[in-house]
Amino acid sequence: MTTARPAAGTPEWVTPAFVTLILGVGVLSALKLVGKLDLVGAIVPFALPAVVAALVPSAHGWKVRGPLAIMAGMFALFLAHTWPGATDAVQEGAAPAEPKHLLSWLLALPLGGAVAVLFLPRQAPRLLKATTLILMLVTLAACAPLLSVPMGREFHFNEDVVWIERFGIHYHVALDGISLWLVILTTFIVPIAAYASFGSIEKRVKDWCFALLLLEGALIGAFVAMDLFLFYVFWELMLIPMFVMIGVWGGSNRIKSAIKFFLYTMAGSVVMLAAILYLVYAYQKVTGTPSFDYFELQRVMTPRRVQFWLFCGFALSFFIKVPMFPVHTWLPDAHTEAPTGGSVILAAVMLKMGTYGYLRFCMGLFPEACAEYAATLAGVAVLGGIVYGALCAWRQDDVKRLVAYSSVAHLGYVMLGLFAATQSSIEGAVLQMVNHGISTGALFLLVGVIYDRRHTRMLDDFGGLAKVMPVYATLFIIATLASVGLPGTNGFVGEFLVITGTFVSNKLGHVNGIQAVGAAIGVILGALYMLTAVQKMFFGPITRPENEHLEDVNGREIVALAPLVVAIFLIGFFPNVFLSRMHDAVARVSSDYQSRIERSPAPKYYEGPIRVVPRKSEAPKPVAPHTADTEVK
Amino acid sequence: MLHVAFALSPLLVVALGACLLMMAEAFSNVKAGLAIGTAITFAAGLSFSAAVWWMGPANLEGLDVLAPWLVVDRFTVFFDAVLCLGGVLASLLAGGYLPEHKLDRGEFYSLLLFATFGAMMLAGSGDLLTVFLGLETMSIGAYAMTAFRRASPRSAEGALKYFLLGSFAAAILLYGFALLYGATGHTDLAGIGAAVKAGGRSPMIVIALVLVLVGLLFKVSAVPFHMCTPDAYEGAPTPGTTYMAIVVKAGGFAMMLRVLLTCFGDAGSMSWSAGWPPAVAWVAVLTMTVANLIAGRQESVKRMLAYSSIAHAGYILVALVATMRSPQQATASVLFYLVTYTVSTAGAFGCLILCGSRGKEAVSYEDLAGIGRRHPAAALAFGLFLFSLAGVPPTAGFFGKWFIFRAAMESGLYWLTLIAFVNSVIGAYYYLRVLVYMYMREPAAGAPVAVPMRSGYVTAALLVSALLVIALGISPNKSLDVAIEAAKVFAAGAGT
Repeated sequence: MTTARPAAGTPEWVTPAFVTLILGVGVLSALKLVGKLDLVGAIVPFALPAVVAALVPSAHGWKVRGPLAIMAGMFALFLAHTWPGATDAVQEGAAPAEPKHLLSWLLALPLGGAVAVLFLPRQAPRLLKATTLILMLVTLAACAPLLSVPMGREFHFNEDVVWIERFGIHYHVALDGISLWLVILTTFIVPIAAYASFGSIEKRVKDWCFALLLLEGALIGAFVAMDLFLFYVFWELMLIPMFVMIGVWGGSNRIKSAIKFFLYTMAGSVVMLAAILYLVYAYQKVTGTPSFDYFELQRVMTPRRVQFWLFCGFALSFFIKVPMFPVHTWLPDAHTEAPTGGSVILAAVMLKMGTYGYLRFCMGLFPEACAEYAATLAGVAVLGGIVYGALCAWRQDDVKRLVAYSSVAHLGYVMLGLFAATQSSIEGAVLQMVNHGISTGALFLLVGVIYDRRHTRMLDDFGGLAKVMPVYATLFIIATLASVGLPGTNGFVGEFLVITGTFVSNKLGHVNGIQAVGAAIGVILGALYMLTAVQKMFFGPITRPENEHLEDVNGREIVALAPLVVAIFLIGFFPNVFLSRMHDAVARVSSDYQSRIERSPAPKYYEGPIRVVPRKSEAPKPVAPHTADTEVK
Repeated sequence: MLHVAFALSPLLVVALGACLLMMAEAFSNVKAGLAIGTAITFAAGLSFSAAVWWMGPANLEGLDVLAPWLVVDRFTVFFDAVLCLGGVLASLLAGGYLPEHKLDRGEFYSLLLFATFGAMMLAGSGDLLTVFLGLETMSIGAYAMTAFRRASPRSAEGALKYFLLGSFAAAILLYGFALLYGATGHTDLAGIGAAVKAGGRSPMIVIALVLVLVGLLFKVSAVPFHMCTPDAYEGAPTPGTTYMAIVVKAGGFAMMLRVLLTCFGDAGSMSWSAGWPPAVAWVAVLTMTVANLIAGRQESVKRMLAYSSIAHAGYILVALVATMRSPQQATASVLFYLVTYTVSTAGAFGCLILCGSRGKEAVSYEDLAGIGRRHPAAALAFGLFLFSLAGVPPTAGFFGKWFIFRAAMESGLYWLTLIAFVNSVIGAYYYLRVLVYMYMREPAAGAPVAVPMRSGYVTAALLVSALLVIALGISPNKSLDVAIEAAKVFAAGAGT
């Protein structure tokens, strides 16, 4: 496809490569603005890989050159096709046909793949790794059609099949603008984590591949499940592979951490199961038939006392997963002990399960209770999450623990955005979920890189690494700045939206200003602890002789990190690509939420016996054995 | 007459098979075929029960001749099938275990068959007399099985404890029956039920009820009547343990449901606040909590599984309490739970059998260290069954628990349900510990390691169990319908 240009083997080769990539993206967007994308759009995605491949110095072979070039082309294609307005042209005509069973394929590929991997020979690690990676990349490619459909307020790719008729359990999957990005985040991060981990995982490769694929399937499933039972199944299913990942391939204290992780999460989810059961029971008492369907259960109006307990059951489970102060204590242990690949998936995707769950299920099913406790919980999120998490992170000596505590702080923003429940704060929260996945995922990968070389993660053991490992230092600083929220990186957009949304929110009582200020202080604290760590690790004199001859990032690590770095800037510069697709779905969530609360700021509960209100227009049409549309008293 | 014979065919097949195999064992030197013969007999019993089910016991004529001794209804047939399934699994496990550990004496299979015959009789009994006959037939088989490892002191100790306490329990039960007869003038369950309904809670009936409850709770080894269970389970050869955990327990619950719902099922005299439901509710709480807490502290996996089986009895008792408010749903949940429990427990014990060989038996957690790496297939299967026992979706055990919790919640037993939920989390801990040892620990240097055995029988039993665990976990539709259909017998609530 291209000819390799012999390049000077300077160690700073990566910088021109990225400059070119970003320039290419810039040129592309500039051309788009002029309105010549159609002409150029066909050329740039092919020209860009050529340029990138050419710029990669010959020190790296085609194993690095090829993937980087392909990735560059993919990102260019992605941007060209998701640019706001790119789908407008389609919208004017007939609505494009949604590929049938797409979500089921997204589930079947990793889950079926996991089973298939079991039948591959244990003695062939290369075959196992290749199969796993190919399955994951195919899953990622299968996400492409998700972007071709204009995301409105409604759910897409709806698939509703009766599973267990007697209990009203359906296999119901659907996708809206919010879960769209989380599904894509999952399918984007998991192959990266897998590819990076294949360098360091040597024992029991088969089990590792099995766990990875199972985990990916469960994660995707939980994001698209629209039946509470199905959601619960995936919610539990994702526990097992992560438990095994921490327990088998983790550090010295792995077993304790794995058990702690499992029991914390299991305790939460069992309470949630009880709440689900009661909710369904309440629905059945009124309508006569049970249903676990999200859209059906959304219609249940419960009085205050009942709703309080149901909310507690769901929220506790989600808060443990997020994790929110004071149930966050499993997270640092789990992260410290988990292998790099496990940490990346845990931080980047699995924690989002908690925030997504709160957004979808707590806010969707119990808006009054959410509104009533929003102010208090936002206080917890700011003090216990953003500020306390940041202060804890500041005090850590272990880089991985530091990044883990920074997760507590970052997810504090997400939760704050959800509690504030304004259009911009929810959009910011969803975007911040994706951002955190990318930047923290990158940070965990980078920490893994240095751990593989030095087998220590203590800040004191490093110093002056920038001289020895310049590329590594560059990448680390980019990820750090994204995590801190420097304008131009993805973190800025999310945090900015959350904080502005919090300022104008009327859900947080009259302290919303203070909450927003607290969150803003958290940004400063974030810069403090992250930059302190960077300074200790990379600058100053080289204090340890072991650090003088460290190898810089190798080809595998570059290929794993490059897409994350590109994504950091992609979201930082073009957030609209992401926000425009989730806008209508967020508008639906916040207007539903608002309309249930009716009177603000004090929430007004529905009083009287439990009843079921009529179905909303956006909800997908249910399959046969649901109740009638009419209001049932 | 043909109809009657057909209705009784599951029982008859098992009895006939038992006699034939006993003869074969006595007059032939070939021991190899016994296990498969027993399994085939049980499978035949299973198929005959299925045939009776499809024919529908209601469509069979002339069953009055059996009254009141034996009742053949869908409930009985369901239990016949479950007990035979348990028998198939236990005999296959025995077929692998006994030769491996040089215990290959043919009596074991006869004991299995006769004890199962007793359990099936128990499920179908309609009279105090047949209840007691069935109970003793089942129990004596179980005592003998416990003592089967003649060289082992633990086996003798377990058997003696089990036998003594079991006899006491039987005596207490019998005393209760006597008082019941004295109070009502009936020995048939339906007659007693009608008399209790008419007579209300007279002191004599209350005393009889308490005594009967003690006997019944002993048979399902509920706390505080569980003392001998762990010793018996540990002392018995593992297939015998499996048998006691699944078939004897299922038989016990069949008897419990039959006696309690037929005799004392009337909500008027045995009201919610007084009568057996609150007592059983407390026993359920005790059983779940105590068993789960003790199970977490065991060092032997076999003993842990014994306590876990007690804990599972506790979950079933929760559903039993719920039968007072929603007889059909709750009974169906017990029935379904017993199926899921049978396959997962048989599987777990089967994996324990598979993981050890002669002289190198897998008993403690340490023995299992590193099995996940050395013998991935055995460990994977063990993991599956443990997840099912812990109630992790999508396995059979999850739906079993789910159905029970749902029935309890719909009966308004919120606190009991919550305690059961909390208990299922505690339970997850010790099941998890097995996984931790299998996958995450390596045996200490020089420590004896368990060496897995190779046996087609055990593999077959595990395959059957694993398939059922997964099938019931993914698509429980059909079997739920069957359980609900079987529970229709008690739909009317009070004694029929």
